[in-house]
Amino acid sequence: MANIKATEQPRIGVYICHCGHNIAATIDVAAVAKFAEKLPGVALARDYKYMCSAPGQDLIQSDIEGHKLNRVVVASCSPLLHEHTFRNATEKGGINPFLFQMVNIREHNSWVHTDRAIATEKAKAQVQGAIRRVAGHSALETKRVPIHPDVLVVGGGIAGIHAAMTLANAGKKVYLVEREPSIGGHMAKFDKTFPTLDCAACILTPKMSSVGSHPNITLWSYSEVAKVDGFVGNYTVQVKRKPRYINEDLCTGCQECISSCVFKEPKFPDEFNERLGKRRPVYIPFAQATPQVVLIDPEVCLNFKRQKGPNGEPVVGDKCKKTCVEACGENKAIDFTQKEEIKEIQVGTVIVATGFKTFDATRVPYFGYGKYPNVYTSLEVERLVNASGPTGGHVVLRDGKEPKTIAIAHCIGSRDENTNRHCSRVCCMYSLKLAHLLKEHTGAEIYNFYIDMRTPGKGFEEFYQSVAAEGVHFVRGKIADVYPEAGGTGKLIVQAEDTLLGRVRKQPVDMVVLAVGLEPQADAQDVRRMFNMSCGSEGFFLERHPKLAPVSTFTDGVFIAGACQSPKDIPDTVAQAGAAAAEAMALIDKGHVEQEPNTAFIIEDECSGCKSCVPLCPYTAITFDEAKKKAVINEALCKGCGTCVASCPSGSIKQNLFEDGEIFAEIEGVLAQV
Amino acid sequence: MSNATATADSDAGVMTLANLANFPEGRKVFSCMQCGTCAATCPYGDEMGFPPRAIITMLEAGLIEEVFASPGLLNCVTCYACMAKCPRGIKLTEVLLPLVKEQVFTRLKEVPAELQKALENTMRYGNPMGESPRKRALWAKSSPVPVPVISEIKRPVDVLWFVECYPAYHPRGNDANRATAKLFKALGIDFAILGNEEKCAGECARLVGETGLFDMLTDSNVKLLRKYQFKRIVTGGAHAYDAFKRKYPAAGFDFEVHHSTPFFAQHLARIKPKLTKKLDYTVTYHDACALGRHNGFYDEPRALLAAIPGVKLVEMTHSGVNSICCGGGGGGMWLDTYYAAKGYERLSERRVKEALDTGANALAVSCPYEVSRFEDALKVVGGDKRMVVRDVVELLAEAMED
Repeated sequence: MANIKATEQPRIGVYICHCGHNIAATIDVAAVAKFAEKLPGVALARDYKYMCSAPGQDLIQSDIEGHKLNRVVVASCSPLLHEHTFRNATEKGGINPFLFQMVNIREHNSWVHTDRAIATEKAKAQVQGAIRRVAGHSALETKRVPIHPDVLVVGGGIAGIHAAMTLANAGKKVYLVEREPSIGGHMAKFDKTFPTLDCAACILTPKMSSVGSHPNITLWSYSEVAKVDGFVGNYTVQVKRKPRYINEDLCTGCQECISSCVFKEPKFPDEFNERLGKRRPVYIPFAQATPQVVLIDPEVCLNFKRQKGPNGEPVVGDKCKKTCVEACGENKAIDFTQKEEIKEIQVGTVIVATGFKTFDATRVPYFGYGKYPNVYTSLEVERLVNASGPTGGHVVLRDGKEPKTIAIAHCIGSRDENTNRHCSRVCCMYSLKLAHLLKEHTGAEIYNFYIDMRTPGKGFEEFYQSVAAEGVHFVRGKIADVYPEAGGTGKLIVQAEDTLLGRVRKQPVDMVVLAVGLEPQADAQDVRRMFNMSCGSEGFFLERHPKLAPVSTFTDGVFIAGACQSPKDIPDTVAQAGAAAAEAMALIDKGHVEQEPNTAFIIEDECSGCKSCVPLCPYTAITFDEAKKKAVINEALCKGCGTCVASCPSGSIKQNLFEDGEIFAEIEGVLAQV
Repeated sequence: MSNATATADSDAGVMTLANLANFPEGRKVFSCMQCGTCAATCPYGDEMGFPPRAIITMLEAGLIEEVFASPGLLNCVTCYACMAKCPRGIKLTEVLLPLVKEQVFTRLKEVPAELQKALENTMRYGNPMGESPRKRALWAKSSPVPVPVISEIKRPVDVLWFVECYPAYHPRGNDANRATAKLFKALGIDFAILGNEEKCAGECARLVGETGLFDMLTDSNVKLLRKYQFKRIVTGGAHAYDAFKRKYPAAGFDFEVHHSTPFFAQHLARIKPKLTKKLDYTVTYHDACALGRHNGFYDEPRALLAAIPGVKLVEMTHSGVNSICCGGGGGGMWLDTYYAAKGYERLSERRVKEALDTGANALAVSCPYEVSRFEDALKVVGGDKRMVVRDVVELLAEAMED
């Protein structure tokens, strides 16, 4: 590699990109180039339509050779997008890729300014800063860090299941961590899936059992990620395994304990059935639950004291006859003494697939949810129409009667500044599906109250058409009020303006189904912090780029898939899960990551051995050499955050690419015109 | 655009229908997605002709003159229901409707007589009833608790009590006043009233589109308030409170202001021990639009009522953000005859029917319009033997031994 000698005079090539109209419309790029050309050390300056294009990159390469350049500055977009591109071009031209500096005159300038003259002056200052800075750059080597081949998948819904299976089938070892007692997520609760109406269980449960039995997948259900340390390729993760009071290795899934529980009848609200059904203290969430292992709910099991321990933990009592233990017999799977357990694992990459929660309809009192028993959420109705649901698939109201008229209220907790601004994207389609299923089950008259029907997926519009042709009614207007019909008829009035008629409709119905929207999980912010991700304004995890890096995050090696990124249906979720798995595999199969050489290093002669940097390092990259009484930075662990550099009292820690001389030269350059 | 907006063009800082897009709240109007929530929640949704959704379509289509020509907006009782529920967060009642309403009024062939009279009275006498301004503080003579007038005592006070028109002149409003005075005394609060100098706060004039009259009253009241020294203003008028808090600051009003219900709720811990008399009431509380939907005071009146021994609280079908207006806002107070002639159901009657359905024997309110409106409506629907109407302060005073 042709590195320049310290004595060599800088010959800087400066390139101002138009980015089509993105930059050129606001900044006089030719004027900036002309300005740069005259600055000390600059050998040539050009403006060009698209620097990132192949001819643009070729320009840099040929200029390096033709004009004997030894430094390059490109003023264009965010380094996040194209720093890599231009460093490559610089390297291909024959000089060290770190003898390059990029200036962002798009996001930092043209996109946020309107005055052309002022924006052009600002661009000149930015470019001058880079020119002064790059003169002081020295050649650096990129380091390689090996990637641990194992993958952590967080969340066992359809996204996590699909990602885990894809990776495991490719021979990667996967840890799948699921918070609930069984994997399956929301999809396991659905009856049919739109628009093809395949039975959700029929297509999901084979995948669930494959996960359960796959030799490459370690499935930890009823578990949560507690702590994450490290960086891409080398994450150390702690997983909290909650006690289910059943030894998973010994339980055969025979469920004898359930039928022999001292509670003869199921008595406690069943979470899987949206609390519409009942379960016992010892239970399995649903028939196809994976793993096929029961669990005991210490909140209601008679063998636990109602008084909690000092840290709120369940305390075993001895009040119950323990008929479950008797029924389990020789298997000895029931273990009331089980405690929470922390497992520590090493993985190289992570796929976060933590899904969504549905909107809490009690937040908007005028829809009557929680007030009128015949107002249901869509997820409750999924269980009502399901053959394995609390009513065996018979759609009956809480009083046992079959509804004859049903209103489906769209956009509940979606497209509403009072709740969530975003469109939840799946509700129009699942409302159509529920309309079809409810009509099929009950023959009821069904009224869909919608604002806009959104059916843009494959086969969606055709499905809309067929449901409309079945005689389901569509009223264009959002429901604004739900209240009981006068005269004690037991019916509810849903009030909406039929905006196509221009009249207020007061439709009496037996049942109201609220098409609740999709929201980030309640603890999305905790998960975000744990994996050092970002969230968008609605609270969903933010992708690295909305178009070109939809499953990557701003943390290398951490990918996202499914509804934790934004509301999406099953096909899109599965597509994303596959993409996330492929991204993880691309890293694993490469075997290493190149690390930016922006690491910190100690000037040993100047280090006073005060140790103040040691505890500050977020990556535990700094140790103390007791013999020499000096701090030592492990370059492989250093991520170049600069914390130690800023904190060192004697100024004896320096950082590649961010040396004081470079930073001051840049500041002086930016301010030179002021 | 039409000549509708030509009047204010000279002043670029004033929002008009023509320059909505220059203001953030105005731009928001055009984010309407035509969902119909406004019409569906409007108590006169079927009678509006052009509900807010349709007004926006007409505005976009350049047909707003047709809206101005329709008297539909006279039915708007400014109850804030459409605004509270609008999924786009459009400030319908605050921004759009007043601008349209002003134009509707200028084009009315004839302002309904009762309303016309009320506005004239307000202009001439400072109150819509046409009572003598010299009798504004007359009620105070019948108060067992002495009610000082600030101009007479000539010293600063803690609370300046802005009484408002209905409480000052209506006999049932006077009852609430005497209760308020009793509560002030029980709390040891140093208070005074403005007496005969006080003028209508004018909120309803503003909301029927009489902005000129509103501005006049605002200036007059602000000037008056500036004459005296006090720490804060307390008023029992829900509409006065709303105007003071949201509109008066533009005219230089910078005083701390409270509505009496939330004010007394702040002092609940000290009031509670004094509530010793058991009242045999099942109470249902009517959320006043200006206090509830527009200012978020839902819990405070209920907390006061729940503190009264013997009182059992029950809720109507429509309560809180979903409450139904008494029909008195936005000039509705003086449009009952007009609505009756059009064959509309009176909202106060719709409301008391719901109240009666709860089985309660007392309807509690915290806006001065409501006592008289609901008492009248109860008579009309034949419920006056089953239910009494009481201001929250009346019930509190009643529960205090003398």
